[in-house]
Amino acid sequence: MSKAAILALLLALGLVGNVHAADPQPFERGSWSKLMAAHEGQPTIVHLWGLTCAPCLTELPHWANLQKERPDMRLVLLAADPVPQPPVRVEEMLTRTGLGKTESWSFADRFNERLRYEIDPSWSGELPRTLMIDREGKVTTLPGVADLAEVRTWLDRQRKR
Amino acid sequence: MRLFFTFLATLMLAGTAAAQHHNHGKPSAAPEAFTATPAFGPDGTLWLVRATADKIAVVKSTDLGKTFSEPVAVTPEPMNLDWGPDARARIAVDPKGGVIVTFAIFQDKNFNGRAFFARSKDNGASFTPPRPITADKTSQRFETVAVDPSSGRFFATWLDKRNGAKARAAGKPYPGAALAFAWEDGDADFGKTEIALDNTCECCRLGVAFAGPGRPAVVFRNIFPGSVRDHAVVTFKDATTPGPLRRVSADDWKIEACPHHGPTIAIAPDGSYHVAWFTDAPSRKGLFYARADNGNVPFGAPRALSSPNRQPARPYLLSDGQALHLVWKEFDGTKSVVRWQVSRDSGRQWTDARTIAETADASDHPLLVAHGGHAYLSWLTKVEGYRLIPLENQP
Repeated sequence: MSKAAILALLLALGLVGNVHAADPQPFERGSWSKLMAAHEGQPTIVHLWGLTCAPCLTELPHWANLQKERPDMRLVLLAADPVPQPPVRVEEMLTRTGLGKTESWSFADRFNERLRYEIDPSWSGELPRTLMIDREGKVTTLPGVADLAEVRTWLDRQRKR
Repeated sequence: MRLFFTFLATLMLAGTAAAQHHNHGKPSAAPEAFTATPAFGPDGTLWLVRATADKIAVVKSTDLGKTFSEPVAVTPEPMNLDWGPDARARIAVDPKGGVIVTFAIFQDKNFNGRAFFARSKDNGASFTPPRPITADKTSQRFETVAVDPSSGRFFATWLDKRNGAKARAAGKPYPGAALAFAWEDGDADFGKTEIALDNTCECCRLGVAFAGPGRPAVVFRNIFPGSVRDHAVVTFKDATTPGPLRRVSADDWKIEACPHHGPTIAIAPDGSYHVAWFTDAPSRKGLFYARADNGNVPFGAPRALSSPNRQPARPYLLSDGQALHLVWKEFDGTKSVVRWQVSRDSGRQWTDARTIAETADASDHPLLVAHGGHAYLSWLTKVEGYRLIPLENQP
């Protein structure tokens, strides 16, 4: 099959465009351990945000800027709205903010107590929240809007080690 | 090439699954309201208003929730219901058996709401078409309706954004929303909307109890200077005069966001006030309870209801005339459980917390309702459906 034919097939299926601007991955029971396993041994920042959280939407562009400034940052975005939001709207917001290509997940289970417990039993659901996870899996939590100076310092420390 | 087709097939399957998701209207496809709110009528009929996806309906039970009538629609057509985690349709029944339902919709993607009410004069056989609770169109959410036990009049209170819009138009900052209220005015409508207080937190549920004839007491999350979102009570001096703000506790939870986690209030026959609330302040995290001897004295020291690592949430207080009941939700790692405490000495001493219901999936807030001196837990869960659970006497 020629490349043109494949492209035609993809177009017919309406898949072109969806391939890059992938929907956020559904975050369900057990997703946290999968996410952690995928990034094991790599300093990773998981930023918890929500479409229904106004300060989160104000903060997101700062993360987009930091991502440009620090290509060494492994960033994972997790939309943790207490009532799951349509994935397409999560994706729209991230694309508009310049974070459309960052690894992204979105709560896909209304039993959010369970999802939150898997991430951190003492997290009562407040957003935004940032988890900085080092090579050994040690988590540093920044509740509320993150102080990016603190994030840069943490990133520098990971690089030196 | 074979790899490519595997990839393609995976995409197609994923696409099909996503389409099915949409068709079935599962929560991951679009946010949906999922609440059940109870009220007892004077004859002991249990009334229940259910918000399901884009519809509001009322059912009733004459056998304490064992069986229910066929649902009667309150919304004649689908509406974009407020699905926020602290929002719910409400119901109240007056001493003559008149029924009122209140609920809110989202007007836009910025969570501006519009609060409606609908009434039934024919014992729930039909409801009037929903009408806005107030003429102002800016935004109303978290509307709550209660019956003044002395007069049987309905009292409605909600969070209103009209003053915020005015302030911003004048170039002035206006954090949060305003606490608005209106009284039933005749059979048709609510009377004039009044603003009791400006700059409350904008997306937490309200609690209402009555301190005396025509004197509601409203508990809400306020915004104190420095964006501190702690709780306060306003008790009305008379039906149209809100009294001073009384702070429930100085948690000093400074947060620029809305916690979606509102308080609860009960007033016992001896006039004592009882409030439970959630906070996530650095020095005080989780659920707390405090009492005050009456409406004029400060609240006592907060008492923690649970360990913060059990996600304690959604407290609810009720005075059934003889005892005070307090319930809340916790998560034990697998299940959500409802914990219950009772006090028979005006909230000074409480029984040990006891689990009275549990579920292993999503659930609504636990609510309390009483009739004839008997109190019940009212709880909607995804797996078990709706349950009305009697709170038996504890030794």
